Amino acid sequence: MKLTIGYLYGDLMNIYGDIGNIIALKKRLEWRGIEVEVRVKSQESRVNKGEIDLYFFGGGQDQQQTLVASDLESSGKGRIIKEEVERGVPLLSICGGYQLLGEYYKPHNSQKLPGVGIFPVYTEASHDRMIGNIVIDSMFNTLVGFENHSGKTYLKKGAIPLGMVKTGFGNNGSDKSEGCIYKNAIGCYMHGSLLPKNPKLADWLLEKALKVKYGKEVKLAVLDDELENKAQQIAVSRFG
Amino acid sequence: MRTTLAIILGKLIAYSSKLLNIGGGSTAPGLYSLKIDPKLIEKLSAKIPTNIVITGTNGKTTTSRLISHFAASQGLKVIRNHTGSNLERGIASTLIQVAPQQRFDLGIWELDEAAFNLVVPKLNPNLIVFLNVFRDQLDRYGEIDSIVNNWGQTIQTISKNTKILINGDDQNLAVLKKGFKGKVQQFGVKDYKIVGEGLSHKREKENLDFEVKNVQPKGLNGSIFQLTINNELLTINLPLPGIYHIYDFLAAFSAGILLKIDPKQMILSLKNFSPAFGRVEKLDFGYIFLIKNPAGATQVFETIAPLLKPEDRLLFALNDNLADGTDVSWIWDADFEQLKIENLKLKIVASGTRANDLALRLKYSGFDPKNIIIEEDMKNALKQARKGLKGTLFILPTYTAMLKLQGILTKSGIKKHYWEES
Repeated sequence: MKLTIGYLYGDLMNIYGDIGNIIALKKRLEWRGIEVEVRVKSQESRVNKGEIDLYFFGGGQDQQQTLVASDLESSGKGRIIKEEVERGVPLLSICGGYQLLGEYYKPHNSQKLPGVGIFPVYTEASHDRMIGNIVIDSMFNTLVGFENHSGKTYLKKGAIPLGMVKTGFGNNGSDKSEGCIYKNAIGCYMHGSLLPKNPKLADWLLEKALKVKYGKEVKLAVLDDELENKAQQIAVSRFG
Repeated sequence: MRTTLAIILGKLIAYSSKLLNIGGGSTAPGLYSLKIDPKLIEKLSAKIPTNIVITGTNGKTTTSRLISHFAASQGLKVIRNHTGSNLERGIASTLIQVAPQQRFDLGIWELDEAAFNLVVPKLNPNLIVFLNVFRDQLDRYGEIDSIVNNWGQTIQTISKNTKILINGDDQNLAVLKKGFKGKVQQFGVKDYKIVGEGLSHKREKENLDFEVKNVQPKGLNGSIFQLTINNELLTINLPLPGIYHIYDFLAAFSAGILLKIDPKQMILSLKNFSPAFGRVEKLDFGYIFLIKNPAGATQVFETIAPLLKPEDRLLFALNDNLADGTDVSWIWDADFEQLKIENLKLKIVASGTRANDLALRLKYSGFDPKNIIIEEDMKNALKQARKGLKGTLFILPTYTAMLKLQGILTKSGIKKHYWEES
């Protein structure tokens, strides 16, 4: 078996330690003897349907985020990724990546920037910087991470949050929701990195990817996650 | 009157904190004195004929210390802010302690990325050195682009007679050349450029005013390289390991040239230079290398990786206090994979408030969890790491973990208090 991970704009959206998610996905496949390839998909690259089995999209700086927003639209990559998500291809997006995959982003003093429209959410710039450790309850049980954003994201009617905030701000600091889940795509504000300390979520993404690619349920071999779980528990006991 | 009162109060606080042994009084005096006289820095620094400012993410303390060393070796009387207290109150504290009786030839001020914009207009420096800009404590300083934009705005407001020296190999700093009305000079290392979090080979030739070439690394003993000044090729034997220390040296040396210090004297004086606490600290059982952000940590890994032997040990200490940054995501951007120790079976101790996050990072970079001991308490961690040690112990702490370690080593008689060091 083999999975190809598409690291969206890995050269531009890479300053919040989100590469730890790529490292975690890659290692958790290698430890199980499953072949893995990571392809960075950036401004000059094309994405073909069926080429990528799992997408990852991290957070970046404002200037880079603007570049990426226009490339997603002009290169047609946004449209292809949306179609792939509809087909069930799993995706994890964080912070800036999450915002760009929503319906739109409204900056302070200018017009709305259209998003890819995978998640039924929209984001508005705010003057509050929401920074700190975050702990949420979700369908993957507890998830821990670190958030650092000023954009406030609101779920539209029918949108399903990834989870509910126990500690921290989450989507907007007011409605207790954090992130969004649509089919097998997840968007959220959780850096940390997220997947190393939340191995259940990492394995869920991998199982979905294998299922879509090979057309049948694939049971992943059990790994020794003692260190992963302990790091999570300690974060929960300190911040939760 | 206000100024006198502020100075007296500051001196009193400094004296009592030293007396009570509650820290070297490196920031509290400035904090309170600035409340009494907000113009304290302007007034006191104006009495010093030459002031220089050093900023950047990594290397500020080592660079300041080098310039100070070069200047002192020429008989110049130097004042500078010590011990990493690089905020406004740290500067004020330093000035208060020596006012009004002492006279100085040169003031050397290291400022952190944010304090720079606040303090530079007050200091009105003759020379500013920009070392580099990397991702560091995003929860505190913000993103790289906004740091550089703020610096750019600040230097637009200062006199065009100010000399500006930038690291020409750091592409993020290039925009500073456009915003400033005066002259900007550049330093760099031939065939290197800084990309993202690390160094790589550059394609195009930069126009550098001060250029190092022919670098030969000598492991932990430092490196040898060459530099042409006034048409003369000089060979430098730098007793600090790692490419990043070549940049610190080069920044200090270029600043020294602009201050008209004799280049050969500077090179000679390197023989008796000792680095600042925690930045390559040599102990009788090993070394301490401060790691505080992805770029700095990666550079330390690059330096020590080729030197590790199977009997050596590593002690990492990751804290998430305010001064370290409360976000530990950065360890995933640091290139632990560089250490390539899978086949060496090194014993590793992970310590600090986020010891478990560290252990996890090590596991995902290829280390066997069986060889990793997790011990949050620094004192016990150090004990564990030294027990039965046959090789060298490399200690890699974040900032507050390093201070803690310093305390432990001081108590056991291995190190002096850091504020007693100059």
